[in-house]
Amino acid sequence: MTKYIFKRLIGMIPTMLIIITLSFFIVRIAPGGPFDGERALPEVVKRNIEAKYHMDEPLWQQYGRYLFDVIRGDLGPSYKYKDHDVNYLIFNSIPNSIILGCIAMAIALIFGVSFGIIAAVKQNSVLDYIPMGIAALGLSVPLFVVGPLLQYIFAMKLGWFPTSGWFSEGLGWKTIILPSIALSFAYYADIARLTRSSMLETLRSDYIRTAKAKGMRNSVIIFKHAMKGAMLPIVSYLGPAFAGIITGSIVVEQVFRVPGLGKFFVQSSFNRDYTLIVGVVIVYSAILIVMNFVVDVVYAQLDPRITYK
Amino acid sequence: MLRKKEQTVNEFNQVVVGNSLTKEAWKRLKKNKMAVFGMVVVIIYAIISFSASFLPIYPYDESIIDHQHLRPSLTKTSGELMLEQQYKNLYFKAWRAGRLVLSEEENQMIEDLILKNETNKVWDYLYKEGESQREAGTFEFNSTEQKTIDKYVDKINTDIQITINNLYYLLDGKKTSLSKLDYDTLLDIYAKEIKADSALIETSLDKEIRSQVTNTVKASLTDATDEDITAAVDLEIENMSRKDWESKASDSIIGKLETSAKKTIEKKMKAQIAEGSVSFPFKGDIEINDHITAKAEVSLKHMRRYFLGTDYLGRDLLSRIIYGGQISIAIGLIGTITSVLIGILVGAVAGYRGGKIDYYLMRFVDIMYGLPYMLLVIICMAIFGRKIFNLFFALAMVSWLTIARMVRGQIMSLKNQEYVEAARSMGASTSHIILRHMVPNSLSVIIVYSTIRIPAFIMQESFLSFLGLGVQAPYASWGSLIGDGVASMTLYPWKLLCPSIAMIVFLFAMNFFGDGLRDAFDPQSKNQL
Amino acid sequence: MSEQNKPVLEVKGLQTYFKTDAGIVKAVDGVSFTVHEGETIGLVGESGCGKSVTNLSIMRLVPSPPGKIVGGEVLYEGRDIMKMSEKELRSIRGNNISMIFQDPMTSLNPFLKISTQMIETICLHQNLSKKEAREKAIKMLAEVGIPSPEKRIDCYPHQFSGGMRQRVMIAMALSCNAKVLIADEPTTALDVTIQAQILELIQKINKKFKTAVILITHDLGVVAGMCDNVCVMYAGRIVEQAPTEELYAAPSHPYTQGLIASVPRMDESDKAKRLFSIEGQPPNVIDLPPCCPFHPRCHKKIGICEHMYPPVKQLSETHTCACWLHASEEEIKKAEEEVKKNG
Repeated sequence: MTKYIFKRLIGMIPTMLIIITLSFFIVRIAPGGPFDGERALPEVVKRNIEAKYHMDEPLWQQYGRYLFDVIRGDLGPSYKYKDHDVNYLIFNSIPNSIILGCIAMAIALIFGVSFGIIAAVKQNSVLDYIPMGIAALGLSVPLFVVGPLLQYIFAMKLGWFPTSGWFSEGLGWKTIILPSIALSFAYYADIARLTRSSMLETLRSDYIRTAKAKGMRNSVIIFKHAMKGAMLPIVSYLGPAFAGIITGSIVVEQVFRVPGLGKFFVQSSFNRDYTLIVGVVIVYSAILIVMNFVVDVVYAQLDPRITYK
Repeated sequence: MLRKKEQTVNEFNQVVVGNSLTKEAWKRLKKNKMAVFGMVVVIIYAIISFSASFLPIYPYDESIIDHQHLRPSLTKTSGELMLEQQYKNLYFKAWRAGRLVLSEEENQMIEDLILKNETNKVWDYLYKEGESQREAGTFEFNSTEQKTIDKYVDKINTDIQITINNLYYLLDGKKTSLSKLDYDTLLDIYAKEIKADSALIETSLDKEIRSQVTNTVKASLTDATDEDITAAVDLEIENMSRKDWESKASDSIIGKLETSAKKTIEKKMKAQIAEGSVSFPFKGDIEINDHITAKAEVSLKHMRRYFLGTDYLGRDLLSRIIYGGQISIAIGLIGTITSVLIGILVGAVAGYRGGKIDYYLMRFVDIMYGLPYMLLVIICMAIFGRKIFNLFFALAMVSWLTIARMVRGQIMSLKNQEYVEAARSMGASTSHIILRHMVPNSLSVIIVYSTIRIPAFIMQESFLSFLGLGVQAPYASWGSLIGDGVASMTLYPWKLLCPSIAMIVFLFAMNFFGDGLRDAFDPQSKNQL
Repeated sequence: MSEQNKPVLEVKGLQTYFKTDAGIVKAVDGVSFTVHEGETIGLVGESGCGKSVTNLSIMRLVPSPPGKIVGGEVLYEGRDIMKMSEKELRSIRGNNISMIFQDPMTSLNPFLKISTQMIETICLHQNLSKKEAREKAIKMLAEVGIPSPEKRIDCYPHQFSGGMRQRVMIAMALSCNAKVLIADEPTTALDVTIQAQILELIQKINKKFKTAVILITHDLGVVAGMCDNVCVMYAGRIVEQAPTEELYAAPSHPYTQGLIASVPRMDESDKAKRLFSIEGQPPNVIDLPPCCPFHPRCHKKIGICEHMYPPVKQLSETHTCACWLHASEEEIKKAEEEVKKNG
């Protein structure tokens, strides 16, 4: 097991390198620099700025310098926010994004798994149709529609929740609810459908028939015998789900004005703030890769048939 | 073989009909009501969006700025809605000035609503109150207000929209279309019309064309300096042939004549409206002067109806949604096809060749899977320009991964199927095996998967457009419309709701159709709902 | 020997139908047989003739929907299983009647240790502590011939071979001293040498614990070696039922005759002689017309076979057969008239 974990950890390095390299070069070969917006800087000033940010060096040297800095954990200065470096900007905003993402994931998992199981057990009943109908809705309604609609209905029309803002700005815990529900909706849908179908499949399997033939109680069959097998597809779905939640949080943060990483990402891609873009992508990717790693380990733990080689 | 024509019968004289897989699938699909419903909706959407330019809707480039932010209405014309808005304004001012008297509670309620930013409710309430009070005679507009209203009504009744389809010139006693005349004749005519020297006109035309060229150059070279642009313009004009120049100049002259014709028509029509001797919409020839006749369509501007309301530029939301759908669906289709083609190519090569090629291709796919690829798409869009082509290119580049894996798996398993080995053992050639066994057997899977991919593709495109990184104005997609709607949903909720509903219905139908297709082709599918 | 023992399980007119898109499949249509204490009864027939469904129906394990037990009764020691509550049913399953299945690869839960799966069964039906249950489980594993069971008990199923897994299944099925063991083709998925071992094991258990065994198989050789009584099934019905020796000595139904003739015989000297085979396919049991379902393949068919299902005839005290060949002249005439009357 330790060996397996170690091997997977080593395997993360090339992916990370590719991400850093790819985003670095995409950004550098792009037309237009970060200082183009401020019109017609005097040549001397421009050269000074470029020297300050090492932009006068050849590309490979810039890349090497950057790579070295990243490994040291320094993501460099921001080109647009002159007072702060990228580290400061990212680590000030990332807790908000993580809280939002985790709550959304928890909501999606708790509701998705429980409704999925109920629907599978009570197949073709109201308890099947209603949660699955909502799930079908979640599959077809994009995040950027769910968010504004929730905002419109529950914040503006009904006034149950604040329209936007975040609790870290002193606006109260209620600010968390709408963004997390919006973000979790699509993943609730996927998880519920996945749970239902894999539960149904497992319940039809031979070993469940054996358990029934042994006279086991239904609840024992579902939670002891079927649960583990039925959860495997859910666990392997969590990797893509994390990626989706990260992407989705960009929209949700935009709609609900959450001061998280996603807002910086969109802003910096409009501003061409090179270091900030690359920094945000690296942080997102790192989160995603670590999450994928955790998912793999959990999967290996759940399924005894997997040998750690 | 001999019995081929006869009906096959089993031992109990029950007729046995051989059915192809596709036929079976179609039968199963027809049984699935939701899938059929989805299919019908999808077809309707497709027909509407691809025949958008033939539909009787207002094109989005023919907007009327007076019509901004009109609410959706099935019965009222835009003029009536504009008037209603005007009334609301006046009633509100009157209430503020204390002339529209309400009870203490009502005043308090309105103050509360204002504090809560519920502008729409305030307006609606005051409008209702005002109308009833005016009817009861307890409230009357004062003379200035009445004057404003009268002026407004007059404007609504007389504002006209003129579309000139063609201009004719009486040349040698024959009506000739201006667009068929050559440059020299046009120049002569124009000089006569405005009674100016033709040399002078030519110089001004030259200037005009230069500024036109400058504009196009500037649009294409966003980052160039002024000198660069001047140089580029010089080069462009130098390279322009006399013929090109003349055709540009001719267009310009016709444009000028049209503008002046429009003015004349407007004057004539206003006079006729005052007499009441014209009914709209008018369509036909109008004499501009002794020599020029215009074939034109004239309609009252404020007779338009907006079933889904308008946006901040007075554009018809219905037409925006239809044209937006056209772009969204087109991107969804083309993007899916491109990504599927890439995926098939990579997957087939990896699956069929196997070995090292397979190993490296699949490792590459694995690593790509680990990437937050939507972020890369966002970066690409931010950096390489927000053009539709870039958008769909970036999306297609990152979404071929799943299909590649799927095709590879399919090919690998087919390669080792008994019937393929049987075919090979009987001496079938590789091309025969691929064409007769592999392609037909993978095709249904690929088609089904593609159908399921389309809504996802549309969602991704709309996601980017929503962030402002996708389709750019003047074009719209559902995503950008929803993005616009979000910005002003407090005051104009229909701008959010209408495109959202249009999109949700389509995605819903598409998902049901895709699910139905999958279940029909692959009844044992694991992901069945 | 079966005469002296009292019956433990009586199946009477069992009917199990499946609702499919194509129509109603009458998988089991009026099956009756009796199992006595300590007896081994064989259920033989081609695949798809309803053997497995019969046995799943006995335990009420038919997946529903699409399956439904529409008629008949199954009496366990005089009590009708079909009318039992869920709770009573559970106390019978795995306790009084146990099952082992065709594919030992998929019948054990791959996510749970063998110990967990065995102990939970024992704890469920017997008043034992976990520790005692574990000891019992180890004892049972030793009984079925698992080497070093105290170590192997904590393994996962995938760490066992197919034959070993089937042994585990048997150990689990017997851990509560079941009266009836239903073995649904227990050897089909195994190698030939392992097959013999497993069958021997079942026989040993049958002798030692006096467990009645219902053995489902399509292998007539297995039946001959193991069973006291045989039921031959065809298209959802039992066509012939007799003690093994009697059946092999005097098969009465053309189908049984065909089955026995199609078994390759080692003692046959004439190697050049072609092996007998029954022509045609077993029928699709959807919307079967009223007729003997075997008639298209029967080389002895008479006119009435195509129009009416034959009555079950008692050939001897223990031997029954459903075939028009054994019906009297009058019966056939009567049936023919009836068919004519109904058009």
